[in-house]
Amino acid sequence: MQVWTKLFAKSPFKPLIKHAEVVLETVETLERALEAWDKGEYEAMREYARKVDDLEDFADKIKEEIRDSLSSKLFMPVNRGDILRYLQMQDKIADAAENTAKWLLVRDPNDTPEDLKEEVRSLIMKMSQESIKAAKLVYEAIVQMDRVIESGFGEKEIEREYEIIKEIEGVEHKIDELDTKFMEIIFKNSSRLEWGLGMYLLNIAKTLSNISDRAKDAAERIRLMMNK
Amino acid sequence: MIELLSDPWLFITIAVGLFMAWAIGANDAANSMSTAVGAGAITPKQAVIIAGVLEFTGAYLFGKSVTETVRKGIIDASQISDPNVIVYGSIAALLAASLWLLFASKFGLPVSTTHSIIGGIVGYGMVYAGTSIVNWGKMAQVVASWILSPIFGAIVAFVVIKLVSKTILQQKDPIESAKKWAPVWIGLAFVVIGSMFYIKVMHGKSLFIAVSRYGLAAGIGAFLVSFALLRRNFKATDPYWGAEAIFRKVQVLTSAYVALSHGANDVANAVGPVAAVYAVATMGLAGMKVPVPRWILAMGGLGIAIGVATYGYKVMETVGRKITELTNTRGFSIDFSAATVVLVASWLGLPISTTHTVVGAVIGVGLARGVKAINKDIVKDIVISWFVTVPVAAIIAGIVFKILMIVG
Repeated sequence: MQVWTKLFAKSPFKPLIKHAEVVLETVETLERALEAWDKGEYEAMREYARKVDDLEDFADKIKEEIRDSLSSKLFMPVNRGDILRYLQMQDKIADAAENTAKWLLVRDPNDTPEDLKEEVRSLIMKMSQESIKAAKLVYEAIVQMDRVIESGFGEKEIEREYEIIKEIEGVEHKIDELDTKFMEIIFKNSSRLEWGLGMYLLNIAKTLSNISDRAKDAAERIRLMMNK
Repeated sequence: MIELLSDPWLFITIAVGLFMAWAIGANDAANSMSTAVGAGAITPKQAVIIAGVLEFTGAYLFGKSVTETVRKGIIDASQISDPNVIVYGSIAALLAASLWLLFASKFGLPVSTTHSIIGGIVGYGMVYAGTSIVNWGKMAQVVASWILSPIFGAIVAFVVIKLVSKTILQQKDPIESAKKWAPVWIGLAFVVIGSMFYIKVMHGKSLFIAVSRYGLAAGIGAFLVSFALLRRNFKATDPYWGAEAIFRKVQVLTSAYVALSHGANDVANAVGPVAAVYAVATMGLAGMKVPVPRWILAMGGLGIAIGVATYGYKVMETVGRKITELTNTRGFSIDFSAATVVLVASWLGLPISTTHTVVGAVIGVGLARGVKAINKDIVKDIVISWFVTVPVAAIIAGIVFKILMIVG
């Protein structure tokens, strides 16, 4: 009786985890690009930045596949709309990483005033590390969501999930602070900076902070999935 | 027996009866093993062998040796005076039911074999004597079972999966809790299985005897054995995997039981009409109840076993490859709930279909947020197939019967 094979539909959670994996890889590749930027290896930086673009495309493809398979015919333990919105947010993490990569490709920052160079670079690197952390935590959160369902919404697993969500919110807050600090530095020195350079630096910071914003949005959606 | 086969009508009936038995094996029997195969407890090949042997054993050793000529008294046999009607009617009913089962198997719809044969009998009965021959009270019970079976199945499965996850999966240390609670659940499952063995396989009547003599003995035995085994050799690192591993073993036993009782019970759907024709051929009369010779039971059992081996194999292979969403605890909860519902229902005298109860139980586990995804469209198709089983089988049987009456 083939009914068993049809009655149980394919769960969207394994593909969601796969998507999160690719998103994490996208952000990690961006960090490598920024490290190359930091060292002044612009050729390597451009190569990594282009790879970020490819990975983002790949994530998009997985997203489309999940969307197509998540028809309203499925009866699931979590709300279908919540899953779809979560997926959208998770995908936007990769989009944000791609945006940073795009700015990296626009120009080389070799004309930053010497006295600012160190501060600017250390702040950007810090933000990049934090955004990786955010993407990693989102990956952990969706893996944990799978466990929450596996345990039949066990309290212990839900608690652990809330801890991860809180961590993501913490990271987002930290990046926001770094972003503000970065903006202050740029504007304080605006008279000495060429406008193009200012815009370039500000946008790298902004897009990096967007990564954690999207991570936070994704975490919010996971919270909603648990309170059906 | 040789001279009996020279009677062309008896020969035809036996052939159609074998076809029906084969269709039962193809549609239903794979059923008993599919949760175990789906959850990866046994391979499809093992499942086919276990199911084939147990279905045959159930049918041959425990099939009812006396059967009603018209299943469950759905039509009034005393209104049929012409023995030829029994012969043609039985062939028509068997043919209609097996064709419908074949169609349902093709589309993967789990329909009740009992309801198929009931439809066939009602069909020829109505063509012969009009609506008055049908026992509408019994018919209402059949209709009620379409609604009751899945609802009870769903409610019990919902409660069972919740309790299993509360006691095991949601505990601080699932492995420790599994060691403590799994024997309790296994014991409970065997209380049900032991009792069911008496009622379904040995065809006992009293639930009290069933539970006190068979159920409790099996339950306590299973509890002690599983308790000891879990204490002695149980290693697991991942808590969920560990808990699942325990239920994996139990599932093989519950499935084996389902196959045995299915053989014991459902063989009647194929051999009942054959026995009726046999009675006409040997004694020349049409009675309400007739004895079923052993060789007819063996034939039915063989037919079911062949159905499992030929068609069931394909089904179980797909099941093994495709169902990844059914864990052992979920599979156990479905099996346990379905068995409990059928046991309690047979005690209360409620008309319950095992097939329908199992589907209900799957939905119940889904409602308890225990399964990651269930296909709603398939559920709809299944429910529709239940409602059309009796009418479709009745119409086909009616047409075949009419033709046989004209040419016969």
